[in-house]
Amino acid sequence: MSYVELHARSAFSFLRGGSSPEDLVKVAARLAMPALALCDRNGVYGVVRQHTSAKGLGLRALVGCELTMVDDTVVPVLVATQAGYRQLCALLTTANLRAPKGEGRITWEELAAGNQGLLALTGDEEGPLRRAWRERGAAEAALAGAKLQEIFGPDRLFAELQRHLLPNEDDENNFIIDWARSAGVPLLATNGVRYALPAAGAVLDVFTCLRHHATLDQAGRLLSANRQAHLKSHAQMKALFADLPEAIENTARVAARLEFTLANLGYRFPDYPVPAGQDQDEFLRKVTYFGAHQRYGTTGGAVRRQLDRELDLIGTLRFAGYFLMIWDLCAYSRGRGILVQGRGSAANSAVCYSLGITAVDPIASKLLFERFLSEGRSDWPDIDLDFPSGDRREDVIQEVYRKYGRTGAAMTANVITYQGRITMREVGKVFGFPEDVLDRFSALYHHGDLPETLELKDQLKAAGVTGDDPRYGKLLETCRLMHGLPRHLGQHSGGMVLSHGNLADFVPIENAQMPNRSVIQWDKTDCEEMGIVKVDLLGLGMMAVLQDTLEICADRGQPVDLGALPKDDPETFRLIQEADTIGVFQIESRAQMATLPRMKPANFYDLAIEVAIIRPGPIQGEATNPYLDRRQGKAPVLYSDERLRPILERTLGIVLFQEQILRIAMELGGFSASEADELRRAIGFTRSPERLNRMEEKLGAGLLRNGVSEEASASIRKSLASFALYGFPESHAISFALLAYASAWLRTHRATAFYVGLINNQPMGFYSVATLVQDARRRGLKVLPVCIQQSEAGSQVIDDHSFRLGFRSVKGLRAPSIARLLAARGQSPFTSVQDFMRRTELGAPERRMLALAGALNSLAEHRRSALWQVEESGSSDPLFRITPAADEPTLSPLERMTHLERLQSDYAALGLTTGRHPMALMRPHLPDTVLAGELKNFRHGTRVKVAGSAITRQRPGTAKGFCFITLEDESGHTNVIVRPQMFEDYRLIINLETALVITGRLQNEDGVIHVMAEEIEAMPALGLPEQESHNYH
Amino acid sequence: MNFAALWIPRFALLALQRQESGLAGQPVAVVAGEGRKAVIVESSIEAEGTLGLAVPLATARCPGLQLREPNPAAEQEAQRLLVAAAFALSPRVESTARGCCTVDLQGADPAQTLAAMHRQVAELSDAGLPVRIGAGETPLLARFAAQRADPILIVEDRAAFLRELPLSLALPTPGQTEVLHGWGIKTLGGLTALAKGEIGRRLGPEGALLWDRAHGESPRVLRLMEPSRTFAADWAYDPPVEFIEPILFKLRRFAERVALELRSAGMVAATLALTLLLEDETEHYREFRLPEPGANVDSWLRVLQTHLDTLRLAERVAGVRLLALPARPVQRQDGLFETGLTDPHAFWENLARLSAVVGPHRVGTPVNLDTHAPDACVLERPFVTVSAPEPLPIHPEHGGLLRRFRPPWPIRVLCVEALPMALDGGVRGEIRARRGPFLLSGEWWKPGAWAVETWQVELAEGGLYQLSRDRAGWWLDGTLD
Repeated sequence: MSYVELHARSAFSFLRGGSSPEDLVKVAARLAMPALALCDRNGVYGVVRQHTSAKGLGLRALVGCELTMVDDTVVPVLVATQAGYRQLCALLTTANLRAPKGEGRITWEELAAGNQGLLALTGDEEGPLRRAWRERGAAEAALAGAKLQEIFGPDRLFAELQRHLLPNEDDENNFIIDWARSAGVPLLATNGVRYALPAAGAVLDVFTCLRHHATLDQAGRLLSANRQAHLKSHAQMKALFADLPEAIENTARVAARLEFTLANLGYRFPDYPVPAGQDQDEFLRKVTYFGAHQRYGTTGGAVRRQLDRELDLIGTLRFAGYFLMIWDLCAYSRGRGILVQGRGSAANSAVCYSLGITAVDPIASKLLFERFLSEGRSDWPDIDLDFPSGDRREDVIQEVYRKYGRTGAAMTANVITYQGRITMREVGKVFGFPEDVLDRFSALYHHGDLPETLELKDQLKAAGVTGDDPRYGKLLETCRLMHGLPRHLGQHSGGMVLSHGNLADFVPIENAQMPNRSVIQWDKTDCEEMGIVKVDLLGLGMMAVLQDTLEICADRGQPVDLGALPKDDPETFRLIQEADTIGVFQIESRAQMATLPRMKPANFYDLAIEVAIIRPGPIQGEATNPYLDRRQGKAPVLYSDERLRPILERTLGIVLFQEQILRIAMELGGFSASEADELRRAIGFTRSPERLNRMEEKLGAGLLRNGVSEEASASIRKSLASFALYGFPESHAISFALLAYASAWLRTHRATAFYVGLINNQPMGFYSVATLVQDARRRGLKVLPVCIQQSEAGSQVIDDHSFRLGFRSVKGLRAPSIARLLAARGQSPFTSVQDFMRRTELGAPERRMLALAGALNSLAEHRRSALWQVEESGSSDPLFRITPAADEPTLSPLERMTHLERLQSDYAALGLTTGRHPMALMRPHLPDTVLAGELKNFRHGTRVKVAGSAITRQRPGTAKGFCFITLEDESGHTNVIVRPQMFEDYRLIINLETALVITGRLQNEDGVIHVMAEEIEAMPALGLPEQESHNYH
Repeated sequence: MNFAALWIPRFALLALQRQESGLAGQPVAVVAGEGRKAVIVESSIEAEGTLGLAVPLATARCPGLQLREPNPAAEQEAQRLLVAAAFALSPRVESTARGCCTVDLQGADPAQTLAAMHRQVAELSDAGLPVRIGAGETPLLARFAAQRADPILIVEDRAAFLRELPLSLALPTPGQTEVLHGWGIKTLGGLTALAKGEIGRRLGPEGALLWDRAHGESPRVLRLMEPSRTFAADWAYDPPVEFIEPILFKLRRFAERVALELRSAGMVAATLALTLLLEDETEHYREFRLPEPGANVDSWLRVLQTHLDTLRLAERVAGVRLLALPARPVQRQDGLFETGLTDPHAFWENLARLSAVVGPHRVGTPVNLDTHAPDACVLERPFVTVSAPEPLPIHPEHGGLLRRFRPPWPIRVLCVEALPMALDGGVRGEIRARRGPFLLSGEWWKPGAWAVETWQVELAEGGLYQLSRDRAGWWLDGTLD
């Protein structure tokens, strides 16, 4: 009988295992092991990955877990039956939900009450038996063993033996053998696997150091004594246990008893409660047609045909309950006045449109329903809902918890893995590199910055770690081994899962860091693999802006109906074409703004293309520039195969959308609906490229079979590969274009309300409030400063041309203080600084910040005078302390602030100024520089010098190492392009200096203006306030 | 001119530069604070503009910037030099702060004092510590004056002097700085122009004290110190050095300070004692009786260099010590609480004798290292106290006691299918029984990564042994009882 490893930990034991489940499976299969049990600490975090990767390798993925008990001993259990799996999930859920994250412990009583269908091992050095033997001697150990025996009975407990070739381990094993024989407990050999291959032992040592907050040099005997805890073959294990053959044979016997695998999870989506006498299909049909009448007016002809087709398919696939649940959630939101809109491929469905889940009419937009749902589909359709971010979305999430119960719904997990900078920082620390080197590395390589232009060794060299350092080679190797391993588990931004009955029967639930949230142990891909339905309830900042803007407009007697906005408003499109789009959803980024003057969107569908075209998919598929050239008439519209014309006509012969790929696959590649669905899933599955490669080959063969030329086939396959890198479905682009257009229209026609909505929902979007305020000023709006007598908590509209900043703009002013302040003012206006201090009792830092912001100017002569007065009760010494009793204005001996000082105070207190841009003050000191607004007057190729606050820095993965910097000055923005080598040479200056002076050649083509950098320097320190920037996102 | 202050700007940096010959003329900065909070607190002229910056930004602005943390040993050495200079001005000296001494000049002749100040400025400058000296009616005023001096400033008109001085000289707290910055107060004069009572009402008693400091404070009693009675200096090199230049560089620094201390104490050196601590923990010691007792740095160095030029050592030098024996013995009365015993611990003397016989690296208390490596221990200097015995282990060691061969014997081992079968070497014979292998490894992240395979064997002709194998081959570790 072949040896089966029944006690293996993966990196999902978080700092207690050095390999991924996939690597463990791969190596176990290579060793011809028939099965492998994954026993991660306190969870089943890695079992889906184990299950999925084992499927194609002929290996049985057995489920186990190491349970941490209240006395901190660790009991490994193996799942024998489905009931056992449910017991395990229940044990973990109970323990985790009553404790803060990561601190759940199981009581012995709970284990005694709920262990049916589970087998147990006596464990390794952390197990109750060995731990008692080590700490308290043989007699106590025998008692610990007896307790386990009592819980698991005579046939479900196994005495675990491990031989790692360590001196003195025989004593411990001899005790276990003696005890097992006397107690009648069968022996079981395991290798206590903590990594797949010996090399990954280094990772485990690094993890051990991280767990103990020690460096490798400090860790001493906490580190592994050797590298023997790897997967071993039958022959190796047989040789190790040559004297105890039954311990090896028992592994196969136990494995045979473990009937359960994730293939029989038994998950079911919850039924939707329908009125008596109807089933879910009938009820869905009823509500769909009710909605369709409202949407379409009439439901004859094409609408009825499409709805019937969709409803029949939904019925066949038994998805009616799911649609009803989403419909119900949307209805709940609307009932609470919360904006909601479906995104993604759901917009391809007329049923979703009729149910009010999506806002796009797929029939009018000729969208491909098969992108959303097809006959061959085995997994659940993907409906993502966008809500206003913040409290309104949380309201909807809590409604799901209320409706389905705390153990019936939970958020999906998000596995945060060791990647680039964080790996280097943590490993570097463990290797004992000094903090300043690690800081320098972090400063060089910002989060989100593209690392691929430099090898890690070159990145290290730039940070001051060279090959001369004796630890250098091992550092590189360890970082490579750790790359992609799980670091910790977060929660997905909005993914929720539901189940019929108890969700905790299928996957353990634990508390999230956020209050009132719980999270399962699997991420969204795991859920998809297991057929567990996920609903994405996403928070979108722009939805919150739209909702706030609409409310402001309604309050001011200028109501706006989003559904009735004119779709061809010339003024809105004029601003879009001029790239005057700061604050507009999706088309405000530097890259979008650089495309708008070339694209010149003239209608709604153009906007959808604009949204989709600046994406990694089309850019890497080299679709962006050919499309723009064709649109501008610089290149002819060609079709590599005439049969592509009807599919690609709307996008000028270029593949831009996923739907087009699917239609090509079906119409030219001979794919069936289910094959097309498989293709769709392969595009979305980012964890493994192999699946996509297989589909790409299949598509290529189908295209050739149907007479598509080699050249055309290659081009289509290239598009397919690029869509795996975040290409958009057309329906999704249209959904987003709706929001883009709505925000652009509001910015054009309800500017003050829109800017107030934007400012009140920060942080969001691409730009800081300072930039938004300057943008509003350039558009002729008046931005009024914070005022103690006038401001509200948030910013507020004054009239069509002005708005006032709210108290929330003041740094450090806490929400309770704002509430106290408003309540006091509500009783009567403040009459003096003393009156304000007496009635609000704000702390000194808050009073100081208000004075610094100029908010007290209406009560004092000037800011300095206010600053002098607010300190009056500042002393904590009773000898000096005074209580402002009366409105006795104290005369300030201080001088008024200069203009520069006021500017600096504005930035110190608010991070912005409502006055002129700070660069206007710097301009006299920068005599050779050109204003951003004047660049358009210079010819292409002119050498220019520009200066400004660096408000964004970007180095997208598609830009091959080029860096894009946006400089802001008093006249607008300058986009600067930095070549890869220059970026490497000036990396620190670019990343760390807040204001830059850049000299370079002007590129002025098709109204798109850039400066190609040739010289970069920090702006001289002349007191320019530091402006917030938005980098590498 | 009641008080004078001797102040060395960029003290931590200059102290470092005095000890590291390669730093002269380089962009160098001293860093303080941990992790991301680390900022540049002092920088050389070549690294202008980096002061106060976070480390990454400083390195961005000044490519090639060399970063150093403050070196307490170097600063102590520099401080002793500064103290010695202060004693040349007055016998009443206070070591006020790092890089600052205050002297009480009351009763001193102003002209002579001024001349002495100029001499000390020149002397310290030659020694790599450009000092500034200020004098005024209070110690704080003298210190403010030193901080504005170039190189000597004597304050006659307190109010006029203080008016334009930066507020930071009065050392406001960060909270006070924030408030005063908001008020637009940038100078000491700006602060003292406000009524002290108003400041107290707003900033409390701490604010009133700040106002006092901004006003130059009142005279206070100095915390006087005794002049040095030992004239010695030492330094440890990490890593050890092979060449004479760094040793001479260091000796010059020592000589500058020791000679100044001697002169300030009115003494000269009759004999110099040089000790070189070698990497193998042995010492090279040599005394030089000076042809003519004196305190001239150059003549001392000539003597020392002549010796070092001809010296050939098998080991690198890990440390250097210079002791100057004064020409006339220190005459002093024993303190009331000083013991009359020269050395109460005869134990240490015996230990020293023992060390002389077997070598110092073979004497001490063995202490296990925290590692899985076998036989990993160090000899530490014996503890003065004996700690309580540890409780008996739950599972006491049993089986054969290993008597280690130190060093282990190299041995040839005949293996069949990876099992040791026979030994040949210092011990020979066929192996009858064996236990193992036991595998241990560690320090994989270092060049000295080690891995060892251990066996316990019994020879057919009798005898139990422990064998081990590492990269270098097989070893006989010892016998098992």
